[in-house]
Amino acid sequence: MESDYAIEAEGLRRTYRTRTGWLRPRRETVEAVRGVDLTVRRGELFGLLGPNGAGKTTTIKMLNTLLIPTAGTARIRGFDVVEQTREVRRRIGYVFGGDRGLYDRLSALDNLRYFAELYGVPPRDQKRRIAELLELVGLTGRERERVEGYSRGMRQRLHIARGLLHAPEVLFLDEPSIGVDPVAARELRRTVAGLAANGATVVLTTHYMAEADELCDRIAVISGGEIQALGTPAELRSRADGRRVVEVEAYGVPDTAISALRGLPGVRETSVEDRGALQLLTVQSDAHVDVQGDVLRELAGIRLGRVDSREPTLEDAYVAIVGAA
Amino acid sequence: MRTLRLMGIGGALAYRALFNWTTPAMYTGTLLAGPTFQLLFFAYLGRQLQVADDRFFIVGNAVLAASTACVFGGTMAVANERRYGTLGHVLLSPRSRTVVFWGRVLPYAGNGLLIAAFTLLMGVLLLGLRIPVTALPGLALALAAGSLACGFFGLALGALGLRFRDVWVVSNVSAALLLLLTGVNVPRDGLPDWMITVGQLLPITHAAEAARLLAAGRGLEAAAPALGRELLVGAGYAVLAALLLKVFEAESRRRASLETL
Repeated sequence: MESDYAIEAEGLRRTYRTRTGWLRPRRETVEAVRGVDLTVRRGELFGLLGPNGAGKTTTIKMLNTLLIPTAGTARIRGFDVVEQTREVRRRIGYVFGGDRGLYDRLSALDNLRYFAELYGVPPRDQKRRIAELLELVGLTGRERERVEGYSRGMRQRLHIARGLLHAPEVLFLDEPSIGVDPVAARELRRTVAGLAANGATVVLTTHYMAEADELCDRIAVISGGEIQALGTPAELRSRADGRRVVEVEAYGVPDTAISALRGLPGVRETSVEDRGALQLLTVQSDAHVDVQGDVLRELAGIRLGRVDSREPTLEDAYVAIVGAA
Repeated sequence: MRTLRLMGIGGALAYRALFNWTTPAMYTGTLLAGPTFQLLFFAYLGRQLQVADDRFFIVGNAVLAASTACVFGGTMAVANERRYGTLGHVLLSPRSRTVVFWGRVLPYAGNGLLIAAFTLLMGVLLLGLRIPVTALPGLALALAAGSLACGFFGLALGALGLRFRDVWVVSNVSAALLLLLTGVNVPRDGLPDWMITVGQLLPITHAAEAARLLAAGRGLEAAAPALGRELLVGAGYAVLAALLLKVFEAESRRRASLETL
């Protein structure tokens, strides 16, 4: 029976067991997902954020039937993802980021024709549907070119068209904008927003906070295989209320200096992002404590660029949530 | 109707997407020139050693020529999905796996039939083999049966690619086994009993037997039992491939043994 919820997951767990070596085999067990509970309403644009290895893709693969949960249950529109795979697969689309996942030797048109057959699009609807989708993702006029000559942005758009062929009720977008240039990423966001506006339920995983902030109705932050926070972007941002952020551009900061920053009075989180030779240090502190002077003292002797003090963003809230996990 | 469409149109698109030897240079070199030289090699060797007459080697190698495209093609039909990272998207299809993958074998079988016919024609033109015109429809049937059986054999090997990464090793070994055990180039009555038994379970063994009877002008009635056995072997591999695909897909969901995406 179809449910009012697009997605329901209860106690979802997934354990991977690996074996390496022949003579002395070493077995390892990794708990990728450790009890995820979530519900996604129909028509909702739901974000799943988390660092690499947090369990995002494993969660999506359980929801889209590619993996069987070790424990727990999940339903898509009321259909069980383990027992009713055919019903689930009729209702879902899956798009992931990256260069692979398309038949390079075929044209975009033939890729879509083939997947239209695989996904059971009625023959009388195929031509119209494919033309509509090519128009939607901006590939009209390029559809007869072999995919091997496509840019990453064009491939991403073709991935989206493929995921939408059978007009799925639930669309999983797994880091769709990874490696895509800013202009193409903006077009992708526009396309995704349009899908949700037209009633599709979208589950989006991304590393780009601005993307999640702009698009998502609700966001779950997953880390260590568990959901650490769940709410609207505004609710998540409020997790960082009462904080102040100091950003410092620096070159060649040693680990000892970063450890020292973490130990400063009033400092709540410290993160480092490498941008080529440049390192961007982000130091979150309690709002009533001015740590900027202390931070600069700890970095004395290190070549610095821009220094800035600002209000926290969703990204800062995310860092705080993941850091506390 | 939609099932036939998936097998026909889907199979043809998958052939173009996944078969590595579709470029004119690769196709001509690997599938036409290579088997022709192999045919000449064995025919002249047979003359030197007086093992058998030209007909034995020409017909045998024509049947064998189809196996390269069909066995490796059948394997590519599954294993190349990994190469392109498309396997996950195929496995997310709500359509029957059996129909999807059986349909993929058909273009390879058709291709195998063409290659076998070409090799046979080379035997006629270069070595002067005479085949009765009345034998041609039966010969086409025997070559088609051998190609189809090889395609399903290759598909079963390709299904192993869902479980084991280095499936091409199995395909290469299988190609050598077909050369040795099926009687296409080595008369089977000179082989040890166990090899004869294994050969009976391989594709093209019975197709080669049927084709030789037909080329000798013995008629379809004489070749029918061998033809029937070839079709039975092909059907066996078709069922085996479907079972392996089902089992390995289920296992991949349980054990995460596939890098599906």
